[in-house]
Amino acid sequence: MSVKAEDAFQEFWRLNVSKVGVLFLAILVILSIYVVTSYPLDFGVRYWNNPSYWADYPKSAPPSWVNYFSDRKLPEHYVFSLDKPSNILPTESGKVLLYTFKLDFQADKPPTFLSFTLENVTYYSQPLIVKLDVKRPDEKSIELYRFVVPAPYLNESPPYRRFYDQPKRISLTGDMTVASTLARFLLREYNVSMKPSEINSIGQHTVIFSVPNQNKQFNVLKGEYWFTLSIETYDNRDYVGRVKLVVGGDVYGFMGTDSLGRDLSIGLLFGFPIALFIGIVTSTITTLFGAGLGIVSGYIGGRLDEVIQRTADFVNNIPLLPLLIFLAFILGQNIWVLVFLLVAFGWPTLTIVVRSMVLQLKSGQFIEAAIALGAPRWWIMFKHIFPQVAPFIFAQLIFFTPTFILLEAALSFLGLGDPTIPTWGQILEYGFRSGGIYVGLWWWIIPPGLLIIWTAVTFVLIALGMEPVVNPRLRRMK
Amino acid sequence: MGLARTLTMRAITLIAVLILVVFFMVIILGATGTSDKILQAMVNEEVMMLRQSLAKTIKDPQELERVINIRRQELMEFYGLTKPWYIRLPDMAWRVLTLDLGKARTLKTFAGGNKVSDIVMERLANTIILVTSSTVISAVIGLILGVRIATRVGGILDRISSYFSAISYAIPTWWIGIILILVFAFFFRLFPFGGLYSTPPPTDPFMRFLDMLWHAVLPVTTLTIASVGVWIYTTRTIVLNTAQEDFVNAARARGLPEELVRNRYIIRVAAPPILTNVILGLATSISGAILTETVFNWPGLGRLFYDSILVMDEVVVIALTYIFTLVYVVARFLLEVLYVILDPRVRY
Amino acid sequence: MTLLRISDLKLYYKTLRGLVRAVDGVDLDIEVGEAVGVVGESGCGKTSMANAIIKMLPSNVAVYQGRINLDGLNIVDLPEAEVRRRIRWREISIVFQGAMNVLNPVIKVGHQVAEPLIIHAGMDKDVAYRVAREKMKLVGLHEEVFNRYPHELSGGMKQRIVIAMALIMNPRIVILDEPTSALDVSIQAQIMNLLKKLKKELSLSMIFITHDIALASDISDKMAVMYAGQIIEVGSAEQLLLTPMHPYTQKLLKATPRLTSGEKPEFIPGAPPDLVDPPKGCRFHPRCSYVMDICREKEPIKFEPTKGQKVMCWLYGESR
Repeated sequence: MSVKAEDAFQEFWRLNVSKVGVLFLAILVILSIYVVTSYPLDFGVRYWNNPSYWADYPKSAPPSWVNYFSDRKLPEHYVFSLDKPSNILPTESGKVLLYTFKLDFQADKPPTFLSFTLENVTYYSQPLIVKLDVKRPDEKSIELYRFVVPAPYLNESPPYRRFYDQPKRISLTGDMTVASTLARFLLREYNVSMKPSEINSIGQHTVIFSVPNQNKQFNVLKGEYWFTLSIETYDNRDYVGRVKLVVGGDVYGFMGTDSLGRDLSIGLLFGFPIALFIGIVTSTITTLFGAGLGIVSGYIGGRLDEVIQRTADFVNNIPLLPLLIFLAFILGQNIWVLVFLLVAFGWPTLTIVVRSMVLQLKSGQFIEAAIALGAPRWWIMFKHIFPQVAPFIFAQLIFFTPTFILLEAALSFLGLGDPTIPTWGQILEYGFRSGGIYVGLWWWIIPPGLLIIWTAVTFVLIALGMEPVVNPRLRRMK
Repeated sequence: MGLARTLTMRAITLIAVLILVVFFMVIILGATGTSDKILQAMVNEEVMMLRQSLAKTIKDPQELERVINIRRQELMEFYGLTKPWYIRLPDMAWRVLTLDLGKARTLKTFAGGNKVSDIVMERLANTIILVTSSTVISAVIGLILGVRIATRVGGILDRISSYFSAISYAIPTWWIGIILILVFAFFFRLFPFGGLYSTPPPTDPFMRFLDMLWHAVLPVTTLTIASVGVWIYTTRTIVLNTAQEDFVNAARARGLPEELVRNRYIIRVAAPPILTNVILGLATSISGAILTETVFNWPGLGRLFYDSILVMDEVVVIALTYIFTLVYVVARFLLEVLYVILDPRVRY
Repeated sequence: MTLLRISDLKLYYKTLRGLVRAVDGVDLDIEVGEAVGVVGESGCGKTSMANAIIKMLPSNVAVYQGRINLDGLNIVDLPEAEVRRRIRWREISIVFQGAMNVLNPVIKVGHQVAEPLIIHAGMDKDVAYRVAREKMKLVGLHEEVFNRYPHELSGGMKQRIVIAMALIMNPRIVILDEPTSALDVSIQAQIMNLLKKLKKELSLSMIFITHDIALASDISDKMAVMYAGQIIEVGSAEQLLLTPMHPYTQKLLKATPRLTSGEKPEFIPGAPPDLVDPPKGCRFHPRCSYVMDICREKEPIKFEPTKGQKVMCWLYGESR
């Protein structure tokens, strides 16, 4: 049974399943390390479960590569962000900061929304005046929006700082003033008469990006759009930190977004270290705890053995998931509680098996020799028995890992996941609860499941590869 | 004789498991203060009803408050709220065992009632239908294929089935369900998204039955896919091991026809260990049912579990945990009866 | 009268290491009512020979040829279905090695004993059960054992069941493959006495296979010594015990401990040959103390220096 580590590894490495399994594991580990080093620790609370962070993302957008498979091109998502003005025009009293954005729009559908954002604005004398204009491919220009930065409050002295804590986001979509502007524009240019409320319901962005016919049907206008944001300042020290223009797409990124606009690729990536953590940590603790109890139970025997075995029998005899649900529900949804519960219910199988192995080893000559030499019990257990069962325990550790990954996913899917830590199970749960499957949001449903399966399969493959090493009878048969 | 004694021993063990689980639950409920909350809710409920009925007879508000407070004190006493939680452990355990848990906060029976025991009991049958039918289907497929594969070890079917069972160990049951919905309900529109009947349900009983079958196809398929791999693989392995036993060869030497050898000397002998695997997999099928019902909105105990978590109805969660343990214990006992009948060796 | 005549029987298996010549040209005659003891070290092909006689072939069989003549029929050439219908258990039955595992654990032993009668003879269950009870009584089993399961019986009882099973169809030949090797010595003696009784009362022919030459001599009329898939010496029990001719037989006898003489048992040097690649010439020559040049070159033919005692050894070449 005790195999030399080197031989054991060679035996393991001979099989293809082992190689694929190790390759998969390496990818999982690399991705996890990337996430752990680049994501903030409070990612779940600060970003993932914070809807305002995702306001400028398209909602329920499929991944952008779907455009390769369809004739009708869906609009991409564009985010333009400038720290410095593209141009500065001097005026009598100050200057005008010009921020120009060029968009080459070639999709067959108008964008899904239009918004712009101002960050970190400081002024000293008069409030700044912000203006947004667009020049379309057909050379028609529209002054879309006009906005004055909030004036000084009573008793406020300069500099007047605005939009530092909370950036000012202005959504043109849904804005009735913009709708009125556009209504005038349509009447003037196309002789199409529409009420602002009508425009609001088809979307301001739709009107901006298309040409109407007399039946009030809008056809997308392809070509170059120039958006200009001009900010009029009255003091040389006046300052604008950042300006952002977002043209909402219908497709987003590599993995798409969910119904809150969350970028699924970010959430799914975050799932890697969590799945590995829950799987490996839980499995390791469970295995060590279970095996330790098994060794003690088998070696010490007597009353202690009886107690451990009865308990193991009992825990083994209860339906796991209902009780896990109960406990997670009553004790609260916290990742450490979850790990604790999984360990508390996972150990018995191993304890029972290890105990029977130890009973066999106990009668071995080298153990009797060690006892005869007067070695203490803990020494024999640690130095003589543990190394004998270690390969088996290690194999079990690998073998148990997918079970825990799947259990965590199942609990998360039932809404009992730790809300501060997004996991694949939780992403699926939200996709299910918010009806994503009923409207066919496949990019939201399929990837998290596949990732869960992939991670679990990785460990199954490694476990398969280890089988001939730990079970020498099998090796001889081959 | 031996049979009865063996079964009595098993029954006692399983009842002990049930009681221990209930006590464990009650200790957790007590220690976290949840049982206080539940009992307090029951007291408040009664006080509210009392107030409504007394308000008509006692007009003086002060007098009313006084009477109600006395009654409230009595009720607190009655429910043991004046004593610490560990004193009323047995009482609370009995409440759980008899499902005397008062009223659900938001969940209701199909008819609109809110007694916990009614809510739970009316859904039991739906869960049993789902679990039993999928188990029977998996068993039939698994046994037939497993026995067939055992005679052609190393063949393509053998390799496919062993990969399949290894992979199915890594696939969450509920995700299979979601994918089936996406493919067969959303894209192909062949089956409903979920539920037990169409809305409105057909009035003709036979049509109603067909409608239920139509709704059951996807959930049953889900559970079957999840468990059939293990069935095939264990059947194959056990049949294979049994076929190599000396007594099989000895039976052939006795000139017994091959069919008899296969049925009575291989399959019959392999049946108890296969059944052992079924017993071990029972807890897994129950978990599978909870998740599959959730996915398919199948109005059984599993979906109720999900709903009760969603609306934070703790009494229903408690009742369901208990009922699932009970269902498990009963199912396990039935399987063990079968096991003892099949295998004379385990009789005392 | 010769009941069963085996000549030039061969049974080879295919394995990953190569062809295993488990039975390689065996000749053996069995007379009516005669007990033939077949002795040899383990792995010499005894069990394979037993299986070959009733055509119980494993799936990896490569060569199965020769003649097993019973009433003018050659079992080797008989189709499987015919063997099953006419030979196995009706004419030749077998008591397998390790009685512990040859009984179906989930069927009552009485039914297992009676089963061939129901299947082969088409008897009613009641009649078959009555016959089975008689047979069980014959082998010294109590009535109540009939309704027991194998795990409820002791090793000796199980062995008796297996013997009763072998006798159920009143076969003319019973092959006993190490029938007592798994039993305690005292039980072993009981079973041997039972076998002797059965042989006398039923005038049964027996092929008694064992590694224990003393045990074989206890019951056998004729004895055959098997080595590396061949029968290297055959003769009456007396001849073999008193005047063993083959050096292997001689060594085998010397290796048997005896209570009555002061001689210490001797060991046979070397190990039994590999059946995949047996030694050239005489297969015993690497372990033989009388080895001659011819032994290394040519496989010995059968000599019969004394009537009824045949030996495969070049030492007896001149006396022909």
